[in-house]
Amino acid sequence: MGAMIQLSRRNLLANPLRFALTTFSVLLGVSFVVASFVLTDGLLKTFDTIVEDANAEVDAQVRAKSEFSEVAFVQRPIDESVLDVVVAVDGVQEAQPGFDSAKIVPMTASGDPIETMGAPVLSFNWTGSALDPITLTVGEPPTGPGQFVIDEGTADREGFVVGETYEIIGKDGREPFTLVGLTRFGDENSLAGAVLVSFTLDEVQRLDGSEGLIRAISVIGEPDVEPSVLIDRLEAALPNDIEAVAGTVVVEEGQDDFGFFVTIFGNVLLAFAFVAVFVSTFIISNTFNILLGQRVRQLALLRALGASMGQVRFSAVFEALIIGLMASILGLGGGVLLAYALRGIMNSLGFGLPALELVLSVRTVVVALVVGIGVTLVASLSPARRAASVPPVAGLRAGFRFGSGEGTRRTIIAVILAVFGTAGMAYGLLGGSDNTALLLIVLGLGAVLVFVAVSMFAPLFSSPSASFLGAPLEHAPGSHITGHMARENAARNNKRTASTAAGLMIGLALVAMATVVATSLKDSFRAKLGSTLTADFVVTGPFGQDFSSALAAEIDGLAELDQVAAVRRGAIRLRGDEEAMVGTDLTVLTDLYDVNVLEGDPAAVADPQTVLVTREAADELELGLGDRLVVEFAEVGRTSLTIGAIFENDFLLAPYIIDLSGWEENFANQDDNTVAAKVAEGVDLAAAEAALAPIEESFPQLQFDDRAEYSAAVEGQVDSFLVIINVFLGLAIVIALLGITNTMALSVLERTQEIGLMRAIGMTRRQTRSMIRLEAAVVSLFGALLGVLVGLAFGWIAVLAIPDSFISRLSIPAPTLAIYVVISTVAGLIAASVPARRASRLNILDAIAQM
Amino acid sequence: MADVLGPQAGAPLVDHAAEMAASAAGLTKVYGEGNTRVVALDHVDIGFEAAKLTAIMGPSGSGKSTLLHCMAGLDSVSEGQVWVGDTLISSLSDRELTLLRRERMGFVFQAFNLVPTLTAEENILLPLLLGGSEPDPEWENQVVENLQLGDRLHHRPDELSGGQQQRVAVARALMSQPDLIFADEPTGNLDSKSGQEVLGFMRRAVDEWQQTVVMVTHDPKAASFANLVVFLRDGHLVDRLPDPTADSVLDLIRTLEA
Repeated sequence: MGAMIQLSRRNLLANPLRFALTTFSVLLGVSFVVASFVLTDGLLKTFDTIVEDANAEVDAQVRAKSEFSEVAFVQRPIDESVLDVVVAVDGVQEAQPGFDSAKIVPMTASGDPIETMGAPVLSFNWTGSALDPITLTVGEPPTGPGQFVIDEGTADREGFVVGETYEIIGKDGREPFTLVGLTRFGDENSLAGAVLVSFTLDEVQRLDGSEGLIRAISVIGEPDVEPSVLIDRLEAALPNDIEAVAGTVVVEEGQDDFGFFVTIFGNVLLAFAFVAVFVSTFIISNTFNILLGQRVRQLALLRALGASMGQVRFSAVFEALIIGLMASILGLGGGVLLAYALRGIMNSLGFGLPALELVLSVRTVVVALVVGIGVTLVASLSPARRAASVPPVAGLRAGFRFGSGEGTRRTIIAVILAVFGTAGMAYGLLGGSDNTALLLIVLGLGAVLVFVAVSMFAPLFSSPSASFLGAPLEHAPGSHITGHMARENAARNNKRTASTAAGLMIGLALVAMATVVATSLKDSFRAKLGSTLTADFVVTGPFGQDFSSALAAEIDGLAELDQVAAVRRGAIRLRGDEEAMVGTDLTVLTDLYDVNVLEGDPAAVADPQTVLVTREAADELELGLGDRLVVEFAEVGRTSLTIGAIFENDFLLAPYIIDLSGWEENFANQDDNTVAAKVAEGVDLAAAEAALAPIEESFPQLQFDDRAEYSAAVEGQVDSFLVIINVFLGLAIVIALLGITNTMALSVLERTQEIGLMRAIGMTRRQTRSMIRLEAAVVSLFGALLGVLVGLAFGWIAVLAIPDSFISRLSIPAPTLAIYVVISTVAGLIAASVPARRASRLNILDAIAQM
Repeated sequence: MADVLGPQAGAPLVDHAAEMAASAAGLTKVYGEGNTRVVALDHVDIGFEAAKLTAIMGPSGSGKSTLLHCMAGLDSVSEGQVWVGDTLISSLSDRELTLLRRERMGFVFQAFNLVPTLTAEENILLPLLLGGSEPDPEWENQVVENLQLGDRLHHRPDELSGGQQQRVAVARALMSQPDLIFADEPTGNLDSKSGQEVLGFMRRAVDEWQQTVVMVTHDPKAASFANLVVFLRDGHLVDRLPDPTADSVLDLIRTLEA
């Protein structure tokens, strides 16, 4: 085998550029995988440290006991009088009350509310305690009314200056506050992009509208008291609905909360990374096929000289192994760099991720090696098998080519893969199981099989398609012979065209699918909104955050508006499962939302003991109008309500609706999520808008939308989400384009003689370049169109599978898809620039002489 | 063009009075440097008479192919000057040379003469199409008819025999009615019957259409189709033989090698 290894090595070194290009496409995929892990692990570690540091000294925390929380991630408050109870407990050295609010928004000097990339604006009470992770770096702490401090990160970004006065929006609107100092969170000058503001306890409670309430009390015991003993004593002294937990529990919970988000983020990145890896597999396989095809004579000579089929196969696989190993090792390094680059990019967008701790776990290294080497090996198997099948006589016969693949067998395999793939996707989408992770994996595998099947079918029609798509080149202005030859070349080798286009096909299919689903979602939303929302105005908070109920009262006071209703949102438990509940004014509900009442009259049952349920929920519970429903609230526990009406449409609301009077009895959180209102009879929209303007002025962080604006705002959110998805899928497309560069470079090499001949008889360098580029454009166009077709099919299946309550119609954004195709084609053309340049610079005599 | 023949030849090899389609003065081509330095052409002065078929002969390594390549602007010149008609080509840019080859030269190579993806007709018209000019259908008919390619026009090269492929190449060379055609061992890969046919066509193009052809060959039989044979050895022009026959060429080769 030594000789074969030598030979493999020589083959790799013979053309370093080709070696580098092949390695690079694997390397990109591996890097992305590694970056996902490094970023996730690093963030987890950093957040763990932050949470640990923040609670390092805390022996115990006293807080409300609750089985679940009525508002996600918000701790139910307790009365501040509990502090007296805690302080009185024997062994307590220090007890610090804590209060935080996400409803207070500082305004910048220019008069705009601070905006973040989705991270919250968090306000705390200033304790000055060593327990507090927030420390002062500049100026003074807030000691009285009208003072606040803010984190350095936000101050830098938004231009806050110590000593200046800024407006702060609290429960009752704007108030002037003086910035007296700047803070840090632990060692960071900000926390994951969140804005951190501190006031005195009284001020933060007042601004939140929670006078006398705190979230928790952090306790340090005297040095000689064991934490467990301290907790027992606290538990004994505290009322039943308040608990004391160990500091370590608080740390774990905090870490889990961060871990939850970081892990989701990491898994999403990883999914994109695997798309990239998948695309690179196609590219490498294609490259190997071409390389070995070009080496038929050498392989035949080896066979004639006595190399066994096994040895030839080994030499091909060994080459792949080396490329895979190189790509894995370089990909590890590239992945770490990419992780830091991603963090930098996200921070420049305002995500404010903390400094990464570099964690290169064994798992990351193993996965990098497995992915890099595995992918290249898998990609080399079929080319290697074909290489080994080259008969020794092929070296003597001119024009030997690999067989175009066993036609029937290939088709049968492709059909089987397509069937399994579609079945997998159907299972994944239609949800044959409760295990979401399993469904997603089956869905992904199904998609992979479909892609493989499509790429196996593609050679059947790639040549005629390329010829058809290239037809316009014949009539291009200037010399059409270059266009003609580009067209002929694109249609020349059906398998090569098919597998070169495959990478782009996959990338475009995913992009097209995402776009189809997003457009369908937007259109469905608009249609549903049109048939549901009958209110003229809707007020919402940033990122769906709740806001003070003072707003609804002010709007209600306007004569120009009638039928004003606040909508509050929370979670309840019903027979053990968490469900969403909405509270609103039942007397005007049907004026503002067309919920399609099937039984009963909501306006007639606007009392605290009534609940409205959807038909679907009622059927599931096997309950009807007038029946009693036992609901578990986080604040008050189990309560029995009467079903006062059954409705059909819970869009924008929830399957369970109670009156605000009932909400006040059963929920702690009395903030509004949405306020909907109708213009009073005889008042025009403009007059109503004018009347709302002063209120809008005092709550500048809120969105005051009419129906069209509201729809546009939600659609805008879908659009930004789509952009992010497509940017990540863009990496797969970049890899596909590298594949085009690679294939074109190899094709140029293969056609050296032909190009030399054409140059000799009068083809200019420019014509040579455009011939190569146009060929790449035709292949790219083929790949992009095929991708869009597959993407449309995927999108259609997804829209069918997604419940009607989210997506009720299929919308095909034809212009957008057309733009994608055009961009891909142009990108393919550009990707061929390097090989085109090489072709145009060939030495004519050497090229002709090459045999 | 008073002294178109190298001084080393000792006797005039080219008719001074005749009109030259292409010529070279002091043409020198050196490959490599130092130890690997090879002088392929050493101050060669030569002219190729218009409307004549000139054959260049010589042993391997004599520089005959290099001479052809330099004359055709396919290879750069180390020293000296090369004219095609009145154009001094040794100083032209790549683009100018390309246009010159396209418009004023024709080529017939030994092998791989045709673009495999194009039909015979497209191959014939290729230089014209590259220039964006419309072929003259009458002339095309005449050429195609003469080369007996009428029923092969829509075939691809791999559907043509070796002889047919070379005839397509000759037709291509003739299509643009160039100043001169360069043929590099045009019959080297053909059996003798097909070879004779191709050479016959080239000679007829010279006699009937006043086409100029310069052909490199090592085959005395092929050379006998020429109006004039010039002999190269070690980068020098050493002799000339007007109106050759296969036997007279062979005799001269024997004399030169003696």
